[in-house]
This record gives sequence, structure tokens and C-alpha cells, in this order.
Amino acid sequence: MLFYTIKRLLALIPTLLAATMLVFLFVHLIPGDPASILLGDTATPEEVAALTRELGLDEPLWTQYLIWLGNVLQGDLGTSVFFGTPVLTVIADGAETSILLATMTMVWIVLFGVPIGIVSAMNKGRWIDQITSGGAMLFASIPTFWLGLYLILLFAVGLGWLPSSGFPSLTDTGGVTNLRYLILPSLTLAAPNAALIIRLVRASMLDVSREDHVRTARAKGLRPSRVAIRHIFRNALISVTAAFGFTFAALVSEAVVTETVFSLPGIGRLVVQSILRRDYPVIQGVILVIVVLYMFINLLVDLAYARLDPRISLK
Amino acid sequence: MMAVASIRSVFAGRTFAQIGLVWLAFVALAAIFSPLIAPFDPYEIDPIARLTEPGWPHLFGTDHFGRDSFSRALYGARMTVLIGLGAVIVALLTGGLVGMLSAYFTRLGHVLMRGVDVLMAFPALLMALVLMTLLERSVMNTIIVIGVVYATTTARILFGMTLKLKGEVFVDAAVCSGAGHASILFRHILPNLVSPLLVQASFIFAFAQLQAAALDFLGLGLPPEVPSWGNMLSEERIYVTRAPWLLIFPGALIILSVFSMNLVGDAMRDSIDPRFKDDIAGV
Amino acid sequence: MTITSWLKTATAAGAFLAIAGAAQAEGVLRYATVGEPPTLDQQVVTSDLATTIAQHVFEGLYTFDSSNSPVPLLAAGETISEDGKTITIALREGVKFHNGQDMTSADVVASLKRWGEFGSRGGLLFEHVESVEATGDHEIRITLSAPFGPWKNLMAFLNGGPAIYPASIVEGAGKEPLSPENYIGTGPYSFNAWEANRYVELVRFDDYVSPEGEADGYGGERVAEFDALRFIPVPDVGTRVSGLRAGDYDYAESIPGDLFAELEGDPNVNTILNGGPLFGLVFMNSSAGPLAENYALRRAIQQAIDKVPALQIAIGPEGLWRSNGSFLPEGNVWYTEAGTEAFSQGDAEGARAAAEAAGYTGEPIKFMVSTNYPFHYDTAIVYTKQLAQAGFNIDLQVYDWATLIEKRSQPDQWDMFFTHHGFVPDPILISVMNDNYPGWWATPEKAELKAAFTASSDPAERVDIWSQIQELIYEQVPTMKTGDVYTYNIASPELDGLGEATLIWPHFWNVSK
Repeated sequence: MLFYTIKRLLALIPTLLAATMLVFLFVHLIPGDPASILLGDTATPEEVAALTRELGLDEPLWTQYLIWLGNVLQGDLGTSVFFGTPVLTVIADGAETSILLATMTMVWIVLFGVPIGIVSAMNKGRWIDQITSGGAMLFASIPTFWLGLYLILLFAVGLGWLPSSGFPSLTDTGGVTNLRYLILPSLTLAAPNAALIIRLVRASMLDVSREDHVRTARAKGLRPSRVAIRHIFRNALISVTAAFGFTFAALVSEAVVTETVFSLPGIGRLVVQSILRRDYPVIQGVILVIVVLYMFINLLVDLAYARLDPRISLK
Repeated sequence: MMAVASIRSVFAGRTFAQIGLVWLAFVALAAIFSPLIAPFDPYEIDPIARLTEPGWPHLFGTDHFGRDSFSRALYGARMTVLIGLGAVIVALLTGGLVGMLSAYFTRLGHVLMRGVDVLMAFPALLMALVLMTLLERSVMNTIIVIGVVYATTTARILFGMTLKLKGEVFVDAAVCSGAGHASILFRHILPNLVSPLLVQASFIFAFAQLQAAALDFLGLGLPPEVPSWGNMLSEERIYVTRAPWLLIFPGALIILSVFSMNLVGDAMRDSIDPRFKDDIAGV
Repeated sequence: MTITSWLKTATAAGAFLAIAGAAQAEGVLRYATVGEPPTLDQQVVTSDLATTIAQHVFEGLYTFDSSNSPVPLLAAGETISEDGKTITIALREGVKFHNGQDMTSADVVASLKRWGEFGSRGGLLFEHVESVEATGDHEIRITLSAPFGPWKNLMAFLNGGPAIYPASIVEGAGKEPLSPENYIGTGPYSFNAWEANRYVELVRFDDYVSPEGEADGYGGERVAEFDALRFIPVPDVGTRVSGLRAGDYDYAESIPGDLFAELEGDPNVNTILNGGPLFGLVFMNSSAGPLAENYALRRAIQQAIDKVPALQIAIGPEGLWRSNGSFLPEGNVWYTEAGTEAFSQGDAEGARAAAEAAGYTGEPIKFMVSTNYPFHYDTAIVYTKQLAQAGFNIDLQVYDWATLIEKRSQPDQWDMFFTHHGFVPDPILISVMNDNYPGWWATPEKAELKAAFTASSDPAERVDIWSQIQELIYEQVPTMKTGDVYTYNIASPELDGLGEATLIWPHFWNVSK
């Protein structure tokens, strides 16, 4: 198991290296330069050139890349051109919102998705199965910004139950109660993503129920609901765990639209704004962090898999 | 006749999927005949008739340019089909080929699939955002960007499926009879993958619509003047209370079409070879 | 946990939520901005958003009253020598910086010098300045090489203007904006925090020494009523509107014209018009391409366009725009109709003939516009259609703002581009007057009139020269005005003291909740 873990970790290195190169290349190919945006309308070309030099943006691309990579290895993601503060701080500020949003979304998904998945598997082919699967698919077919727009109109402007937008940090006045700012956005984000989990829970329950030990349990005369809960669900959990891992990673990055609609200070909106401002170090930093996060979740899921199902690590 | 029979068997007893299929047929017809059906030029500006309510002659009302929303919606069907098919073609051609070749030629596969891994690590929407800023806003670029995003998943899926088929008896038989690589890949393996590919295509088609709408919303999709349902939503979204029809009609059209495509894909998935079922993502 | 105890807990939690929500923002003003300012350093930045925030922190020697005339702010008064070349300015005594130091002439001289050398608009004045020196603890003297009329207007315009910083901070500072820890001014609010992506927060400065006299425009008494001002970036306009309606913000800026009637009818929303209109400008490339030097062709383009439909589509309600060709609005001292008969003709056939006569043979004309500002894009779409009808081959290139800014600095990349200009109290501040501004309009005729314009300090004469410059603009068409746009902001009805209209940037001293 340890050997397997080390092997997998080492395999990440070339992938990461290639990913960083790609990130760097893409970001620097974007037209527009930070210096002229920072200096505004009235700057002369000489002033723009001077600031470009100062920011180190006049070096050849590969030199810039090596310098950046060297710094990244020392834990320094550079300084935001726009804010003038370390990229890591800017990302950390956004991470609070993004992680809380993803977690809350996950809570909704589990709260709604898992029971619905179980119920629909237990009633395979019956009307309740059709309604739940169809309903989940319908929710997955709604453009998120459209849904968010109407949720704001209904619950914030119309009924006044929940705040419309923004998210004060948990350390701000209001403390934990500030989580109410995330209720509408997380529901918006959960709607399309719940469908995947529902289908997965349903499918893995059905798969597992065909396996031998469940048949044995049934043959032993255990009540069907007991069989369902104890045996099927526990085994189904293995594959569903994997799905949760990926969904979580995806939620952090796919929240771009939701964060824009609800004006949340998360990583997604940070990326969009940074692209508009051509804040190269921040764009690179965010994408790098998300790529690393994704790879590690990927790895963790695989390792958890291997632990739960010893057959895998033997491969 | 066989195709009709198999379609019948796939959709038998699936009322929702049947309705979805009918709706998609309507969308396709609207796309093909939009210049004939549309009562107005979708680009025609009329400052006097801006933000008129739905009625006659503007069935879906007009937008803030005074353009006829119904005509734009009809032309929007065209964009829906174009983006959906375009993304499917890009994803299947690039991703599919990479996946198949990688599974078939193991050494090449080692290199190629590593590349796919790298691309997979990029979050889809972020990658699309960066690529769209880098390129220009155009229909072609939107199609390519969305296609590339789904090419990676397609490559993974085809890799897995081809690998499974490679060990089958009929492939060994073909090798023994002296068939070349191309012939084995495209005449023996590929035909077995057609129906799972169709399923994958239907999901890509559906997702591409939502991705395109998200890009339009972020101001990085189709050029804003192009009549597409996503553009109609995002360009007119500030009028949600002032002129609600501008959001309700295109919103409903997107939801109905994506939902239908998902239903159709779901129905087809249940009818394909059980070996491949788990490989295909989607809703 | 029994059901009843669970219910009790839930009710208590609900009540707590409600209280926390209500208690959160008593003394805090929550202002929804269109984005984040690049910096608050007023000397180097020309962003309106930056000035909206920074005017609470930094002050200049002068500011504008409600009639857009300069009045003293940190200055106490001035005397001008007979020949108009020596200006002696007395400073108010007892004014404190946010770091506790007294403001003295040393701070003022250091600030003016940095602005003169590196400030965005500093060069306009300092071209004519020979020296700036302290002549006492609270007195400075500016020596000009020749009399310069608009000096006071330039000193009073805070945007890209001479904000007064402590000498210790501004000495050695260059073109690069000051960093936030150095945001130390004399204003009624002091800089507290800039949380990237979240907000910029200012807090009341308790040792503030206000100028005397009744508040009038930006002049007169300033009282900080709020504990703090929070400027929260809310880039999506729909979210700004619904956020204000839902009570999550007290003030929101830059609201689309089409929502005006609806918002005005909403008892939960107050609409506040901005006094000075902004105006769209289509710049033409004087340096390269088919439009360079070809004034007749440019006039033909202007002739083809009817500005009214574009304003109807891009802005909406009649009251929020005016099809006005004068660069400064009616009622303003600089208003003139010189040349404006060419402003909006909508004469496609005449334009076609004129273009042909000017040697135009249908070569593509590259027209750049950004989607970041919907009114730019909407207007450009209408113009493109009108120009096409007059036989022009317009290649509309749609970019995001950052790309447009990059491209417009390269003369070979474009022929026309769309931008807008905020209201300015003196025409010398209009971007087309700057020879280096993209478009690069620097003809001998312009140079001659501009020199006369800045040399004169006689108000009547300056107004007359300005009308000649405007006429020249309609003749050489370095830029094409698209009409006046009266923007508006929205506020919670709970805010007191905002007044009917905003002068240039909304300010929140003398405002309470």
C-alpha cells in the first residue's frame, strides 16, 4: 500500500510539470497587457514600457516561466499585478468562500441525492423511479445563471427571506450566521450536480444488489429493507465516494457562474475578474492551485478505493 | 428499416424520451427552415418597437434593440444545432481518435493518455474561459473550445472501451487473417463502438448547450449579436423584471432542449452493450 | 432531542439570525461598485470608481461647488500677481493627516511636485510651471512661465489630480501608484482595509478638521456621519439592482437607463441622477490607415450617422440622454453650438457621395468596440448598420476592454474605436486635447488654438477659443461625439442627505442612515 502510494505520488510530477507549462503558455498568449491597464487612459507608451520592465514582463517567455516555476517550488506564487499583494493571500481570501460554498453544496447533494437515489433503486422501473430520475435530469438541464437569477428574485427581493448576494467572511460581524448568504448559491449549484449523484447511487445499488452476498442475505431470509440498507448501501458507498471526490473538485471551479450571479468573493469570480484585468500571476496561481487540488483529490480517491477494495492495488 | 426498428425498441415504453425526441425534431426543423419561417430579420433593429410585449406580430415580444425575439429564437435553434453538432464532431474526432489509437498502440497510448491526464486536470469551465479570452469571440471558436473540453473525457471513454474490445476473440481472428491495423481499428473495432458513441454524443450535445450559455453569460462566448438562446438570455438578463418574456422564452427553450437530449441519451444508454454502460458519463 | 426542544432551538437560531442580520450594518454604508479600482492614488489614476472612493480619504487644495466653480478646500485663499505669473496660496492651519501629523507647506510642495512630474493630468499644468516653493509654514508660491487660465480647475479636479499626501510618503514616489499602507490623506474618512475581491473599507477620521461654510457641492462643511464606508465590488448589474432592492446594499452605481421608470416607481428605491453627463466618443485614427489625414472621409462618416436611434436603444428613456453636439452640456459656461450642425445628420445618400468624393472605394474600416460597457456595444451596432447603408465597409471588431486598450495603442490595428468620457469642468481635460491619446490628433491648427486657449486667463476669451476648437473638431473629426448620457445611481430611501443629483462622483460626508 505504501509502495503504491509513493508510486502514484511520483507519477504526479511530470503531469504537474506539463500542466504548469500549459497554464503559463495559455495565460501569456492572452492579448492585452497589465501595465497599460494599470496605468489607465492617459499613460504614455514610455510609461507603459517602464512598468512592463518593472513587472518583469519584458523577459523572454521561457525565462519568465523558469523564474516563476522556481518561485512556485519555494512556495511563492508571485505578486498580484492588480492588488500588489501576494497571490497566495489573494487565493486564500477567495478559498474561504469557495470551500464553504462547495461544502454546503455537497451537503445539499448528499441530503437530497442519496435518499432519492436509494428510493429510486429500491423502486426500479416503477413510477417513483421515473419521476425522480426525470426530475433530477430536468434540474441538470437548467442554465445555472438563469436559475440563480430567479432564486434571487423570489427569495431575496420578493420574500426577503435570504440575502441576495455577497458573502461576508465568517470572521466578520455576524459570524456563523453569515452562512445564510450561501444558501441560495449552494442550492443553485446543487441543482445540476445532484443528478449525477442520484444516478450513481441508484446504479451502484442496483449493481451491488446483483452480487452474491446480497443474494445470500436475501436467501437467509433477511427483510428486504434491511438488506438494502446494510449490505447494498455500504458497498455502494465505495463507488459513490469516488464520485463525491470529483464532484467536490469540480464544484470549486465550476462555481464561476454562480459566484458571478451572487457576487461571491470566491475563486471562480476571482479568475474571471483577473482574466479581465490581465492579472497573470493570479490567473496562473488559481489554475495551478485548482489543478493540484484536482490531482490530489484524484489520488486520494484512488487510494481510498484501493483500501476499500484490495483487488485494485494488486493491479 | 432495421434502424427504424431499433429506434422503436430503444424508445418503447419511454413516454418522456419519446416526447423529447419529438421536441428535438421540432428544433431541427426550426433550425433548417428558420429563414423561411421567421417573420422578421433577426438582426433588424427598430428603436420604436423596443421591449414590446409578446403578441401579434411579435409572438415572443422584442428585445432592447427592438429585434423580434421569435425570429431570433428560430435562428437560435440553428445555433443550438450548430454548436451541439460542432462540439460533438470536434470531441469525437480528436478525443475519439486519441482514445482508440492509445488503446490499440500501447506505447503511443502511454504518451497520449498522459497528455489527456494533464488536460483532464484542468477544470473544464476555467479552461474554456482562458481559451476564449485567448481566441476571439466567434461561433467557430466557441465550438472548438467546447469540443476540446469534452475531447478529454471522450478520449478516456474510448480508451477504456477499445481496450475491452482488443482482447475479444473477433479481433484476434482478424489479426490472424492478416488484416492491417487500420482495417482492424476501423472495420472491426469501431463498428462495435457506434452505439455507445451515439450515447456519448447525445450527452456532449446537451452539455455543450449549457457550457455555451455559461460562456455567453460570462461575456466570452458567441459574439453578442449572434442570435442564440444563450445570448438572448445573457444579453437581456437585466430586463428580468422590466420585460420578463425576454428571459422566459429562451430559458424554456434551452431547458426543454437540453432535457430532451438528456432523456434521449438516457434511453439509448439503457439499450447498449452492458459492458460499456459504466464507461459513459452524462447525467 | 425531542421534537419540541428541537423546535425551540430552531426558533432561537432563527431569531439570532434575524438580529445578527439587522445589527450588522447600523453605522456602515454599503456601496455596490461596478468593480475594484486599480488603486486609490488620485494623482496617477483616472478611474472614476477610484475617485468615488478616494475623495473621502484625500483632498486637494481646491474643489468644486455645485456650480462647478473651484472653491478652496485645503487652501485658505490665494493672491495672484499683476502679470498673472505668480500665485501665492495660503493653506488652512490645523489640518491633520490620518497619521496624526499636521499638514504644512512642505507636504503640499512635495505632493504638487510629484503630481507635476508623474500625475496623470499634472503635465497639463506643469508645462507652464517654473517653480513651486514653500514661502512659509502654511503658504506656497507657484511661478508660471506665462499666465495659465485653467490652473485652478486643474487643481480642483481630484481625478488624476493633485491630492495632498504627507511629504514623507510622496517624496521619492514615481509614476507607480502608492501602495495601500501609504493611503494617508486629510479627508473625513481614513483608509482602513482593502480585502481583495471583497471590499475597500474606510472608517471615520475623528480628528478631521472640516472647511467652514455651508456645504455646497464638494465645498463647505464635511461631516462624517457613518462609522465606516464599505465599497463592495458587484460586477453584475442585475445583482446590484436586486441587492439594493433586497436591502443588502445602501447604494448602487451605474444602473441601466431602461430600468429607470421601474426603479423610480419602487418605494424601496431612490434614484439619483448624476449631474454632469458622460458622453460616448468614437475616436478616429489620425496616424495610420484610410482615415488618417482624410478629413473629408471622416466628415462623410459623421454625416451618415443619426445619433438618436443609437441613444434610444443604448440608453432608453428620453430624459436620460440628449442628442447634443456640444462637448459640454447646455447650461454649462462652456456650452457652444459651434460646428454642431454636423453632429447628427443621418444623411446616408449625402454621405455616400461625400465618401466617394473623398476617394473612398470600399476598403474595410476597422471599428473596435468593447462588450464590457453595454452602451458602447449597442451604439456601435446601430452605427455599423447606418454606415453600411451609406456604403461604408465597416469591420466591427468586438473585444473585451483590456484587449481594446492594448490594440488601440498600436496605430496599425484600428481605424475607429469606441470609448466614453466622464463630465469634466474644463475642456482642457477632455482626452482629445491630449496629443498622445490614441488617435494622436496633433494637427498644426489644433496646436495653435490650444496654445491660445491655455495662455488666456480671461474667461470670456477662453470660452470663445473653445468654441473655435470645437468647430475644428467637427471639421477634422479626430473624434465623434455620440451624445450626452445622464447616468443615475440608486440608493436606499433610508439614506439622508444625498440630494437630488450627484455632481460628478457620489460622496457620503453629510450623509447618514
